[in-house]
Amino acid sequence: MTIQEPGRRLMHHIPLNFVQKKVAGGGGRSTNASLSLTSMIDFLVVTVVFLLMTFSASGETPTQKGVHLPKAENTLDMIDAPIVAITGSLIMVDGNPAGNTRAIEDSKRLQRIDELFNNLKGKRELWKQTHPGKDFPGVVVLQIDQDVQAIVVKSVFQTAAFAGYPNVSFMVNSIPKSGGGGEKH
Amino acid sequence: MGGVDVGGGGKGGRKQLDSEINMIPMIDLLMVTISFLLITAVWTHMSRINADAQVPGPPRPDTEQDKVEPEKQLHVEMRSPDKFVLIWKQGGTVVSTVDVPRKDNLTVTNGFKDIRYPELAAKIESEWKTTGTHRDGSDKKFDQAILHTDNETPYVYVVGVIDAIYHAKRPYTVGGKSNTLVPAFNVTFAVN
Repeated sequence: MTIQEPGRRLMHHIPLNFVQKKVAGGGGRSTNASLSLTSMIDFLVVTVVFLLMTFSASGETPTQKGVHLPKAENTLDMIDAPIVAITGSLIMVDGNPAGNTRAIEDSKRLQRIDELFNNLKGKRELWKQTHPGKDFPGVVVLQIDQDVQAIVVKSVFQTAAFAGYPNVSFMVNSIPKSGGGGEKH
Repeated sequence: MGGVDVGGGGKGGRKQLDSEINMIPMIDLLMVTISFLLITAVWTHMSRINADAQVPGPPRPDTEQDKVEPEKQLHVEMRSPDKFVLIWKQGGTVVSTVDVPRKDNLTVTNGFKDIRYPELAAKIESEWKTTGTHRDGSDKKFDQAILHTDNETPYVYVVGVIDAIYHAKRPYTVGGKSNTLVPAFNVTFAVN
């Protein structure tokens, strides 16, 4: 097969008028649009920078299904600690059931939750075995639904303290500071 | 193609100092980076508010326990539906008492309740500035706030009050720099 010089290959003796018009540029508006490379790269770089700034290496803290967390302004960053979730009357420690709150709700009295106590104590012992020679931080994060009664909160709080977790943190949804209420720093 | 001039005039015989960046891999890299960051993005940021269970440690043998003067503590009463009561106590002695009108501005958005007590926050801050003990940046201890609530109070109201207590901030010296602002109080719950 012979090598032919590139060029137009439309055969003029075939009456394809609409093709002729397109090729000659006499047709409608072109469907190809040009894109400014500089603007596009600027946009991409800005997007990358924004996403990198908002990137969180620690990932998302798992929230128990059905737990509606309250909101707060004056918050601290999350830490890695056992999570005690309370939704309805069920207590979960790191996703595993650890008792329920029905007895507290019925009696309306502050009391220790034995199953939760044993679970947290077991985690504490495990931590001490896996980190020999280190001080136990004693931090636990409570993930409590917004409608749970204060007596349940106080009972879980006290139970955690008795199990060797005196630093109790309440998980909340962080909201930006409104600036109202009090003097600014 | 995009070009990057890295200097030099490029005289004859010398090595060419202009180099070109291949746009196609560069745009590919940017696209992949954006995709990765978008997929791994976390849009809901969880935070925490701290509380201290005040578990006493073993007594230090080098200090005489009898001579330790009890510190002032701020007791925040939220049992009444129409007012908060701020009570400074030193041991069993009441130092001062202030009433703050209570307005429960509860808002509900998509099932999430939100309550703010700006008047309480402002009053606690002003009280701490006049009566608080640990105000210096080099002081490692914090003033103690004790929250009194009745048993049926929903948790969202408790968090609203703790948030108001933590509105008061003080400087805290870390490594010789005192530019860090931290909450002025440690919060704990009253047992009764």
